[in-house]
Amino acid sequence: MSVITTENLTKIYNSGTTAVTALDHVSFQVQPEEFVAVMGPSGCGKSTLLHLIGGLDHPSNGRVMINDESLADLDDDSLTKLRRRQIGFVFQFFNLIPVLSAVENAALPLMLDGMKQIEARDRAIEWLSRFDLADRLQNRPDQLSGGQQQRVAIARALVAEPALILADEPTGNLDTRASDEIAGLLRQVAKDWGRTVVMVTHDPRIAAYADRILFLKDGRIVDDTLLEAKNGSSYEAVTAKLKEIGD
Amino acid sequence: MNFQLTLALRYLNGRKLRALLTTLAIVFGVLVVFGMNTIIPAMMRSFQANVLAASGQVDASISLKTGDVFPVAELARVAAVPGVRASTGLLDRTVNLQPDYFDHDAAVPDSISALSLVGINPDEAHSVHSYNMVSGRFLDSADTNAAVISQSLADSIGLSLGSTLALPTAIGEQSLEIVGILPARAVPGNEEVFVTLSQAQSMFSMPEKINTIDVNFDSLDNARRSEIQSSIQTALGNEYQIGALASNSELLTNLQLGQTIFNVLGVMGLLMGGFIIFNTFRTVVAERRRDIGMLRALGASRKSIFYIILIEGLVQGIMGTALGMLAGYGFSVLVLKLMGPAMQKFLNVKIGMPEVSLAIILASIGLGVGITLLAGLIPAMSASRVTPLEALRPAVGKLNFRRLAGLGFWTGAAMIALAVATLVTRNAGLIGLGGMLFIIGLILVAPTLVSPIAALFGGLASLIFARQGTTHLAQGNLSRQPTRAAVTASATLIGLAILVTAASIITSASVGFERVLRKSLGSDYIFVPPSVALWGTNVGSSPDFARELRELNDVAVASTLRFAPAQVNDLPISLMGIDPDSYVQVSGLTFAEGDEATAYAALKTPRTMIISPVLATSTGAKVGDEVNVLTPNGVTRYRVVAIGGDYLNAKIATGYISHADITADFDRNEDVLIQLNLTPTADRASAESAIETVVGRYPQYRLISGQGYIDENMELFDVAFAAMYAVLIFLAVPSLIAMLNTLAIGVIERTREIGMLRAVGATRKQVRTMIVAEAIILAAIGTAFGLLAGLYLGYTTVETLHLAGYPMEYIFPASGVVVTIAAGLIFGVLAAIIPARQAARLDVVQALHYE
Repeated sequence: MSVITTENLTKIYNSGTTAVTALDHVSFQVQPEEFVAVMGPSGCGKSTLLHLIGGLDHPSNGRVMINDESLADLDDDSLTKLRRRQIGFVFQFFNLIPVLSAVENAALPLMLDGMKQIEARDRAIEWLSRFDLADRLQNRPDQLSGGQQQRVAIARALVAEPALILADEPTGNLDTRASDEIAGLLRQVAKDWGRTVVMVTHDPRIAAYADRILFLKDGRIVDDTLLEAKNGSSYEAVTAKLKEIGD
Repeated sequence: MNFQLTLALRYLNGRKLRALLTTLAIVFGVLVVFGMNTIIPAMMRSFQANVLAASGQVDASISLKTGDVFPVAELARVAAVPGVRASTGLLDRTVNLQPDYFDHDAAVPDSISALSLVGINPDEAHSVHSYNMVSGRFLDSADTNAAVISQSLADSIGLSLGSTLALPTAIGEQSLEIVGILPARAVPGNEEVFVTLSQAQSMFSMPEKINTIDVNFDSLDNARRSEIQSSIQTALGNEYQIGALASNSELLTNLQLGQTIFNVLGVMGLLMGGFIIFNTFRTVVAERRRDIGMLRALGASRKSIFYIILIEGLVQGIMGTALGMLAGYGFSVLVLKLMGPAMQKFLNVKIGMPEVSLAIILASIGLGVGITLLAGLIPAMSASRVTPLEALRPAVGKLNFRRLAGLGFWTGAAMIALAVATLVTRNAGLIGLGGMLFIIGLILVAPTLVSPIAALFGGLASLIFARQGTTHLAQGNLSRQPTRAAVTASATLIGLAILVTAASIITSASVGFERVLRKSLGSDYIFVPPSVALWGTNVGSSPDFARELRELNDVAVASTLRFAPAQVNDLPISLMGIDPDSYVQVSGLTFAEGDEATAYAALKTPRTMIISPVLATSTGAKVGDEVNVLTPNGVTRYRVVAIGGDYLNAKIATGYISHADITADFDRNEDVLIQLNLTPTADRASAESAIETVVGRYPQYRLISGQGYIDENMELFDVAFAAMYAVLIFLAVPSLIAMLNTLAIGVIERTREIGMLRAVGATRKQVRTMIVAEAIILAAIGTAFGLLAGLYLGYTTVETLHLAGYPMEYIFPASGVVVTIAAGLIFGVLAAIIPARQAARLDVVQALHYE
C-alpha cells in the first residue's frame, strides 16, 4: 500500500487572460518510510505539488490519495481532520506562534485535536527532548536560533504521530550547518521513526539526504531517481542529474 | 484552561499597549453609561422621597389634573363620600424668591430660594395631620398674619418665636408673626410656612380657593380603600386626580432629559469603542494571517479560528466592562459627593449613595460585552476564511489599494442622495431619517474617498513639513489601508458631527430667538418673577399693583401676563392671559399664521385663543378649529384665531387668551409678569425712582430694563455654547483613543519598514514627523467628514425644529466650525504623541528582524 498516490495531477492557475499550468498530469507513488526529495528550478511546480498532497489546495484535474483515501471526496472539515492526524507540515519560515513557548508550539496539533493540556505537553516535551531542545522548552520563538525554531517546527509536525511529513524548503531560511542538521533530522524521522517524508528543496546538498529524488520541470516529472543512501556521496550524483535536465 | 482562551490571553499579553488602548475605549463607554445611570436614579430617589414625604401622613391627596386651584366647596363632595373619615382643604403653593431676598446681597446666594406657603384649616387639619410643636402654639382659625415654621427654617434665616417673616404676596409684601415652631424638617423638599387657609387665600388673592384636599379613610383594608378612592373619583369627576402632588415634576423631567442625553453620549461612546475594536481586530487578523494559515494547516478548523479571535474580543469586552463599571461607580460617588452640599442647600434634598440596580448592571454588561463581540464578529469570520496556503507564502507587506468604487461606495452614495431628497419633502420625520442615512452613507463612502482626500491633505501637510521629506510616506501609509483609515476617521466623524450639529442648532436658535426676544420684550421696563416659564411656582400680584403703576406720571402703558395651568386635548399646556389692547403696545407675539391686527381683535371675542406653534404641532390644531380646554369648571371649547408665540414660552405648549376669559373660566386675576412703557417725554430717572417705590412692596418682582433683560437672556446662549464645548470633552476621548490606536497599530505593523527607513538614513525626527503627519492627515479626513455630516445634520435639525414651530432659521455656525477644525487637528497631534515617540525610538537592528 502506498502512502501517497497521485494520478494525472494537474493544476492550472488562471490569472486574468493567461492560464499557467503549474502541474501537468503528474502521477507517482510514495511508499511507507520513504524519504523523497522534490527538486527542480523555481516555478516548476514543486510547492504546488506539496500543497496538493497536503490538501491545502485543490487540483484542477486528477487526484491525490493519502493511504488510499481520495482527498477529493473530503469536505473542508474532514480535510482539516486528516491534516491534523495524518500529515505533519514543516515550513520554510518555521511559522511558530510568537506568543507561545517552544513546548506550547510543539503541542499545538494535539491541543487543536482536543487533547488534555498536560498530556499534550508531555508528548511535546518527549519530541523536543529527542531534538536536543530539553533545555529550551519555555523559550519563545524569538529567543531561539533559526535551527532551533525549525527543530521545534519538526517536533510540532511529529507530535500527533502522523504517517506523513511534508516539508516545504525546510532549510531555505537556515545557514549551512543548521541546514545539514535539519536534513539529517528529517532522514532520522524516516529511518528511525518510520515516517514517510516528502521534502521540497532546491539545494542538491540537502536533497542528497533523501532516498529518492523527483525532478520536476515545467509541471512534469522529468526524472525519478533512487539514491544509494549514503550521506554526502550522493551529492555529485544529484548535481550531475540537475545538469543533465538542464537546470 | 481552554486552548483558544490561552492563545487569546497570550496574544493580548504580547501586545499590551494595543490591548490597553482597545480596552480603554470600552471602559470609557461603560463608565458613562454605568455612572450616569447610577447617579441620576440616586437623585430621582431623593426627589421622589421628597414628594412621597409630602403626602406621607394622609391616605389620599386630591388635586386637579392641571394642578390649578378649585373652589373650597368641592371639599363637601369629598366629605360626603362613604368611608371618608376626615378631610381637609389646603392651599399649598410654592413661593419662588429672588436670589437675594433674605440677605439682600447679590453676591451671596440665599440658602433658601423657595418656600411652600401652606394655608390650612386649623380646626380640620389635626384630624388628618399631626403637628408636634417644639415651642409656641399651633395656628388658630382666628389668627391673622400668623405663621408656624420649622426649627430648621427658623435657624437658616435667623428667626425665632415672635419675630416676623416678610413674604411677597399678590397683594404686596406681607409680614407674618411666628407663633409656633415645629421640629426641624427631616424630609427633603421646600421648607413649609403654615398659615391659616383664609390668610393664604388673601395672600394669593384666591378667595374661597384650595388646590389640595387631604383625606383619611376609615378602613385599613386595601380592597375597601381602593373602593373609597374610586367613589371619590366618581364624585369629583375626571378632571381630578388622587395621589401625591407632583411638586417637583419639572425638575424630574429635566433630570430624565439629562439621563437620556448622557445615555445617548454613553452609547455613542460605546459605538465609537465598537469602531475601534472592529478596526483593531481587522488589523490583528491581517497581521496574523500567517499564524492563522499555519494553524489551519496544522488542522485547526474554521470554527476554532473563529473562536480564537472572538474569545480575544470577549476577554477585552469583559475586562473593559468590569473596569468601566468600577470606574463608573467611582465617578458616580464622586459626582454625588460634589453635588451633595449644593443639593442640600438649594433643594433641601439629601443625596445618598449611587443607586445600582440589577437592570443597569445587566445593561452595562450587555452593552459593553455585546458591542465588543459584535465588533469582533466580522474580523473573526474573515479570519476563519484564511486558507492554510497563507502560511506558506513569504511575508511581504500587502498593499490594499481599493478599487475606485465598490458596492459600499455606491450604497453610501445612494443613501446620501436619498437623504438630500428627504429635504424636499418638508416632512419632519423623513428629514430626521435622512439625517441617519446621511451619516451611514458618509461612513460607507469614506474608504473610497480616503486616498484622494489623503492626497489633498498630504499636499497641504508637505507644505508645512516641507523639509522633512516624509509626508508623502505618511500619505501613502494611510492610502494603503483606506478602510482602516476610514473606520478611524469615522470615530472622529461621529464626535465632530455632533459638535457641529449642536453649534448649528445653538447659533440658529440664538439668532432666531433674539429676533423673537426683541419683539416680545420690547418694552422699556419688565417686572420679572424669579422663575420665568415655570409660571406656576411664582407668586404674582393682584391687579392693584399694575393699576398703581399705571397711575404713576410718565407711565404710558403697563400690560400684564396672567397664568393658568390647563389641558388642551389631554395635553398639559400653559395658558397665558393677555390684554389684547395694551399687550401690543409693549410687546408682540411672532405670528406663524394670522397677523397682529386681526388676531388681537379676534381675541376680544369670548373663548378665542392664539396657540403657540409648539401647541399647534402637538395637537394638530389649525386656525378656525375648536379645541377642548380643561378648566377648573370642566371642559370648555375655544376657537383658534391665530398661531403665534413669544420668547418666554417658546419651548412650551402655550395658549394665549384674553384677561377676560382667564378670569371667567379660570378665576385668575393674578399678574405674573408686567411690561411697562414710559411716555415719550418722560424723565427716565424720576420715573424709575417712582416705579422702584411701588415695586418695593412686591419683592417677588425684579425690575429690569427691556434691553437689560434681552442682554441677560442672550447670555443664556453663551452658557449653552460653553456647555456644548464641555460635551466636546466627552466626545474627544473616544476619538482620541481611536486615532491613537490606529497610529499605534500602524507603527507596530510597520516596525520593519521603519527599521529600514532608519537604516537607509531617516533620522528619528523624520520618523516622528512621518507619524505626526499621518495623524494630522487622518484627523483632517475625520474633521472634513465630521464637518460635512454635522453641517447637514444641523441644517436638517434646525429645519425640523422650524417645521415643528420653533422660532428658528438656519444660520451657518461659523464659530462652531472654527472650533471644530481646531479641535480635530489638536486631536490628531495629541493622538500622535505616543506612537511617534514609539516609532522614533525603535532600535534599528531589532526592528529589521521584527516578525
